[in-house]
Amino acid sequence: MTTRAESRAARSTAAPRGASWVETIAAHLVFGVVVLFFLVPFLWLFTSAFDADAVAYIRVPAKPTLDNFVRIFTEHDFGRALVNSVFVAGSTMVLDVVAVSLAGYSLSRLDLRFKSWIMYAVLLLQTMPLSATMVPIYGLARALGLRNSYVGLILIHAAIELPFLIWLMKNFFDNVPRYLEEAAWLDGRSKLRALVEVVLPVARNGIGVVAGLSFLAAWAEVLMMIILIDSQDLKTVPLAFYETLRTQGGYTEVQYGLVAAMGVLYAVPVMAIFLATRRMMVRGLVASSRGL
Amino acid sequence: MARVEYDDVSKRFPTQDRAAVDHLDLDVADGEFLVLLGPSGCGKTTALRMLAGLEHPDHGDILIDGGSVVRLEPKDRDVALVFQSYALYPHMSVRDNIQYPLRIRKLSPAEQSRKVERVAELLGIRHLLPRRPAQLSGGEQQRVALARAIVREPRVFLMDEPLSNLDAKLRTHTRTELKALQKQLGVTTIFVTHDQAEAMTMGDRIAVLDAGRLQQLGSPDTVYQRPANLFVAQFIGSPPMNIVDARRDGGALVLAGDWRVDAPRGVAAKDGVKVGLRPEAIQLELTPAPGAQPADVLVSEPLGSEVIVNVMLGDVLLKVRTGPEVRPDPGTRVFLRARPEGVRVFDASSGAALN
Repeated sequence: MTTRAESRAARSTAAPRGASWVETIAAHLVFGVVVLFFLVPFLWLFTSAFDADAVAYIRVPAKPTLDNFVRIFTEHDFGRALVNSVFVAGSTMVLDVVAVSLAGYSLSRLDLRFKSWIMYAVLLLQTMPLSATMVPIYGLARALGLRNSYVGLILIHAAIELPFLIWLMKNFFDNVPRYLEEAAWLDGRSKLRALVEVVLPVARNGIGVVAGLSFLAAWAEVLMMIILIDSQDLKTVPLAFYETLRTQGGYTEVQYGLVAAMGVLYAVPVMAIFLATRRMMVRGLVASSRGL
Repeated sequence: MARVEYDDVSKRFPTQDRAAVDHLDLDVADGEFLVLLGPSGCGKTTALRMLAGLEHPDHGDILIDGGSVVRLEPKDRDVALVFQSYALYPHMSVRDNIQYPLRIRKLSPAEQSRKVERVAELLGIRHLLPRRPAQLSGGEQQRVALARAIVREPRVFLMDEPLSNLDAKLRTHTRTELKALQKQLGVTTIFVTHDQAEAMTMGDRIAVLDAGRLQQLGSPDTVYQRPANLFVAQFIGSPPMNIVDARRDGGALVLAGDWRVDAPRGVAAKDGVKVGLRPEAIQLELTPAPGAQPADVLVSEPLGSEVIVNVMLGDVLLKVRTGPEVRPDPGTRVFLRARPEGVRVFDASSGAALN
C-alpha cells in the first residue's frame, strides 16, 4: 500500500520542486534522444523483418509479408538453430544455478580457511577478457573432445559466467538471515535439505537473477560458438545469423529481410524473459548491490 | 523431558580476546525452567547455542539425559529453539511453518494436521493458520514460533530472548502465559534473557552470567536476597542494591557519613569491605529516633504503588523504597535505619559475598 507521503515523495522525485519548465523540457529532450538512439535499430529490425525487399534504412514495408520468416525456416534451417540455442542456454542456466547456489552458499556461510583468497581468485577470473582465454579454451576443448558437442558448449558457457554469478549469489545469501537455516536444522533438516527448502526459496530473487543472466549470456554469446562449432547440426542462432550474413552477403547483396527476421526471433525470447522477470531482476540486483 | 548438564564448557571466538563462555558448569533438572541471565555479551546466548548445536565448545562436554551431544548435528539433538527474531520461514504459511518439523519426522498427514490443530488451539492461533508470517504482528509471530517449538514435543525447549521484540504490555502478558504453559507441558526449558524482571518472574532457578562466567545459580529469591557477589547484587533488582564502602569498628560497620550498622553475625572481622543494602532494607523515618542515621533527601520518585526516595548520606547516594504515602520534599532531613536481615557484606577487592 502506498501512503500519501510516499506518493508525494515519488512525485517530487519525478519533477523536483523548484525545477523550472526549461529544465523539465531539457531533461525530457535528453531522455528522448537516448531512447530514440536505442529504439531506432529495433524499429529497423521489426520493419525490415516484414519487408520482402528490405533495405539498410528504415522504411514502412510496401507490402507487409511473412515471407522472410518462412524462408529462414525452410531454406536456412533456423528451426534447428533455435532448438539448439534454447537447449544450450537452458542447460547452461540449470548448471549455473546448481553450481552457483552451492558455491555462493559455501562462500557466504562456511568458515573456509582461505576464503578471501578464494573470493579474490574468483574475481580475478572475472576480469580476464574472453579473447585472452579463447585460445587455451579452444586447445582444452579439442584435447578433451569437447568441440562440436553440446556438453562442451554447455560446460564452457556455464564456466564463463560462473565467477560473476558466484559473487552475485554470495551477496544474496549474505542477505538471508542465518537463523532461518538454523531453525531448519533444529527442526530436523540436514544442511543440504535446509539449503534447498529454506534458504533457496528465501533467496529466490537471487536465483531468478542468476538464471536469467546465465540464460541470456549463453543465448547471446558468439565468439565461443564460432570457435567450438563447425557442425551444421549443432549450429545455434548466432551461428545461423553469422552464416546468413556471410554466405548471402559475400558477393551478392545482403538479404536484409532474412537477417532481420532472424534478429526478431533472436531478440523476442530475451525481451520476453526480461519482461517476465524484470521485477525479480530489478529487486534482486538492487538487493545484491546493497550487499556489496 | 530431560536433564541437561554443562560440564566445564568453554568457548572462545577467534575474533575476541576473551572467552565467550568460560568453564561453565551447570545442571538443569528435568522439567525445570532455568533462566540464563546477564548483560549483553555475557555468553548466555553462546551457552544456549552450544546446547542447540549451532556452536561447538572448545572444551568440556554438554549432556542431555546423561548422553553427550557435542558431536551430534543440531537435527539429531531433539531440542527446539525459539529465536529472538522468531525465524519463521517467510515463504511458508503459518500452518506449514508449524507442520514443518512434523513433515521432517514423516508423521502421517492425519497425525500432522491433528497435532498442528491441537497446538494452534492451545496457543489461540487457529485463525492465523492460512496466513503468511509477514501478515502477522510481532506477538502473533512469537506465538507461531512457540507453536513450532511445542508441536515437536522436544526433549528441551531453548528460548533466546523470545519476548524482547514485544511491546511492554504484551511482554508482561506473554511472560505469565509462557510460564503457565511450561508448567503444563513440563518440558525442561532454558530461557535466555537480559531482563531481570523476566528472570525473576519466570525462572525456577536463575543462572547469572558475566564475562562468560557463572556468577550465581539459585532460586530467584536466593539470587535477589543473597547475591553471591557485587556483580549479582547490582545487576538484579530495580533499583539495584545500594553499595557503600565501609570500615570495621568492633562489632559495627561504619558507612559513609559515620552511619554505624551492626555487622551481621559470622562475617570475618576485616577491613576493606562494602555493605550492600536493598532499597527496601533501609527503613526511612521522618522523625528522629535513637540509633537512626540522619540524611538529606535529594529527590523523591513516586512510582504509584511505592516511592523511591533518593537520600544523600555524606557524599553517597542511597535509594530507599517507601510506601506511596511517604514523599519527603527535597532537602528534608530524614532518618535511616538498616534492617539487620538485609545487611549484605562484600569483600571490596574480590567482590565476593561474606555473609
